[in-house]
Amino acid sequence: GVHCGACRKMSVYELHYFNNRGRAEPARLLFAAAGLPYRDIRIQSEQWPEYKLKLPMHQVPVLEVDGTMICQSVAIARYVAKVTGHAGKTDLEQAKVDMLVDGIDDVMTKKGDYVWHEKDETRKMEKKTAFYETTLPQFLSHFEKLLRTNNGGDGFLVGEGLTHADAWFLCLADDILLDFPDIFSPYPKLAALVERIRTYPGIKEWLAKRPQTPF
Amino acid sequence: MPSYKLTYFNVRGRAELIRLLFATGGIPYEDVRIGRDKWPELKPKTPMGQIPILEVDGQVYCQSMAIARFVAREAGLLGESSSDQARADMLLDGGAEVGELLKEVVLEKDASKRAEKKKEFSEKSLPHFLTLYEGFANDSGHFVGESLTWADISFFNMMDFLTAEFPSALEGYDKLNKIIENVKSNPGIAKWLKERPVTDH
Repeated sequence: GVHCGACRKMSVYELHYFNNRGRAEPARLLFAAAGLPYRDIRIQSEQWPEYKLKLPMHQVPVLEVDGTMICQSVAIARYVAKVTGHAGKTDLEQAKVDMLVDGIDDVMTKKGDYVWHEKDETRKMEKKTAFYETTLPQFLSHFEKLLRTNNGGDGFLVGEGLTHADAWFLCLADDILLDFPDIFSPYPKLAALVERIRTYPGIKEWLAKRPQTPF
Repeated sequence: MPSYKLTYFNVRGRAELIRLLFATGGIPYEDVRIGRDKWPELKPKTPMGQIPILEVDGQVYCQSMAIARFVAREAGLLGESSSDQARADMLLDGGAEVGELLKEVVLEKDASKRAEKKKEFSEKSLPHFLTLYEGFANDSGHFVGESLTWADISFFNMMDFLTAEFPSALEGYDKLNKIIENVKSNPGIAKWLKERPVTDH
């Protein structure tokens, strides 16, 4: 059914994740941008073996909306964006937002591969080097171009306002800037976009008060 | 009516879900299949150096899931409410994860490593996934609500790939088998399955 704006504000949102930014942070940014209250649950590792059995795919993040559980971080962020009006206005805008989010997700997965999955130290360094010398520059130069196609690139990634593509992009930026603070110097529009998202009302306050975690 | 042009290689791969969705919706589109030799020329013209791409009245979109979601929306197969749509999204994303694990098995070149990965997949990852999804399916053979959505079609597509490697994977999963039947008997899909080029993946 269709919910009215007032009904949405009365829904109870609970976001389950660990105590880090990881794959829950895009949803947290979107809640913050909308000033939409939610319970920011951070699970302790000791609780995890039993906790996961209650979850749809035994993974987090999970967004619980009035008792219904939604998992998969991209699906969750898209849902929160829809509820808060940050999903893209037309079908084509939404497709563009989706495509950018999927591109960012691909890059995050590649990073995750060497950070978390590669156990061999030599291979890890090799993959990290390949990531920062090849994968990431290719990705950032595509994105600098894609941003510029949106009215010159001085606004957000798609359309006129913030969308979940921008939320995902900030999360990626936060991560890569830790390793390479100068990574955006060849990409001035993307660098300015990161600042624009950081100072977005609601997000700005969240960034100042959110738990500080290494990732 | 907008004009749709899908470009990919001559395989099912990451374009097949999109093609199935066009077929279900009865939406005409140009199904362009390029040879590998044509790819280097096309690559710099794509938004992220990858295919499939969908051109809609001159605008170019990439990322197979984003394109599939767009076509599903045009075909009315997304799910009705935002929460139905989120449910479909989550099931698709979970399926994609298993798809990646399957790819790791299939693409492993070392014979003994491949056998090991195949065993681990068929004994752990696959039953875990199918058990969860049997639980997600309802008695009428749908994942979301009471009618066909792209969640059902995506599952069918994934099983198409998976049963090539694990032919009896779905034995005993009654509701999942119902989903497969529902998808195969959709007239648009039945027609496409008869007519589509036969490729090894």
